[in-house]
Amino acid sequence: MKTFSSKNRKIVLDDDKILIEKILKGEKRSFEEIMRKYNKRIFNFTMRMVRNEQVAIELTQDFFIKIFTKLQKYNFEYKFSTWAYRICYNLVIDYIRKNQTYVDSLDDDRSYKKYAYMNKNSIKEDGADAFEREEVKSYLWKTVNLLPVKYKELILLRYIQELKYDEISEVTSLPIGTVKNRIFKAKDLLRKEIEKDGMLEK
Amino acid sequence: MECLKNKTIQEYIDKSLNRYEQSIIRDHLIVCEKCRAKYEQFKKMEKLLINPVYKEPPAKIEKFVMNRLFSKIPTYSSIFALITLSFILLVSWIYIYFDFNNNSIIQAFKLTSNSAFNWITSIITFISNIFSSVYAIFKVLNKLFMIIFNVNIGTQLFVLIILSIFISTLFFVSRIVYKKLKEHN
Repeated sequence: MKTFSSKNRKIVLDDDKILIEKILKGEKRSFEEIMRKYNKRIFNFTMRMVRNEQVAIELTQDFFIKIFTKLQKYNFEYKFSTWAYRICYNLVIDYIRKNQTYVDSLDDDRSYKKYAYMNKNSIKEDGADAFEREEVKSYLWKTVNLLPVKYKELILLRYIQELKYDEISEVTSLPIGTVKNRIFKAKDLLRKEIEKDGMLEK
Repeated sequence: MECLKNKTIQEYIDKSLNRYEQSIIRDHLIVCEKCRAKYEQFKKMEKLLINPVYKEPPAKIEKFVMNRLFSKIPTYSSIFALITLSFILLVSWIYIYFDFNNNSIIQAFKLTSNSAFNWITSIITFISNIFSSVYAIFKVLNKLFMIIFNVNIGTQLFVLIILSIFISTLFFVSRIVYKKLKEHN
């Protein structure tokens, strides 16, 4: 293939790239495989970003259709996942910019306060350790949803999409130092929020 | 040594410090209980974050995308366009076949029309103009056919053959579409 004759960079053929070669040759099964592989992370990322299941479903569908139509332009020198997440990230950010109807804040979300109160009580009632852990985990991830977008997106890219710092900086076009700082700040916010209820001390 | 900053603890967990710094912090954590407690908390949260709560994406996403990208079912608009096109061709064929312009009723109508029926006449002239142009196209196609295959079968027969081929393919296509739609549902 033409794309592999590049002299400057070494191209590492990973599983994704082999699948994409097959898709470009017209194998539709391979695209199904790519979808199965990325579906969960992309959906969860968009879901947490837009906080609306219907919208998340539509965005995920748009994402895969976009990926397929743009596949001809994919440069094999780069990692597929980074390229794909970049497209996904731009799609979601575009949507949020166009539909900024809610305010993301840890301070003024009443339903969140209510939830936190309920959660706290349910934890006190049950002492089982594994259960507690699950509760804390779900509480933490609910809190993630309430972070300001600029922190939330990075936390999601780091832990839902499982990207490294340098990959996140590539996806978001932010400098790597900013990425690290913001993630640290985000965790700080999360920790403070959880420590309020003394959940991490158990 | 003074106590560790939050940021340093985080960097220690991320393993983004160099070996020397890493070892200093490890030593400090052994000594300082306060920092150790903090470190434990940080670590706990890291663990919680590393295994996120995933929501299973609905299966309809994959289905929708695959259908959109690979389905051979034409969209409703294309079916509609096909029907309209075939209808126009069929009507034009009928009029060409029965020689619309030379039809005695039309001729009579044209001749006897007065100002009251002027709009009808204009419509008829409009239609007959369209039909004569379609007829002319078919004539040209027939001439081409003649040149290529070196046989003259007459414009009307030529139109008939082309339209019958067209309509039969349309019939088969519609059957396939119907089948696919049935499968789809």
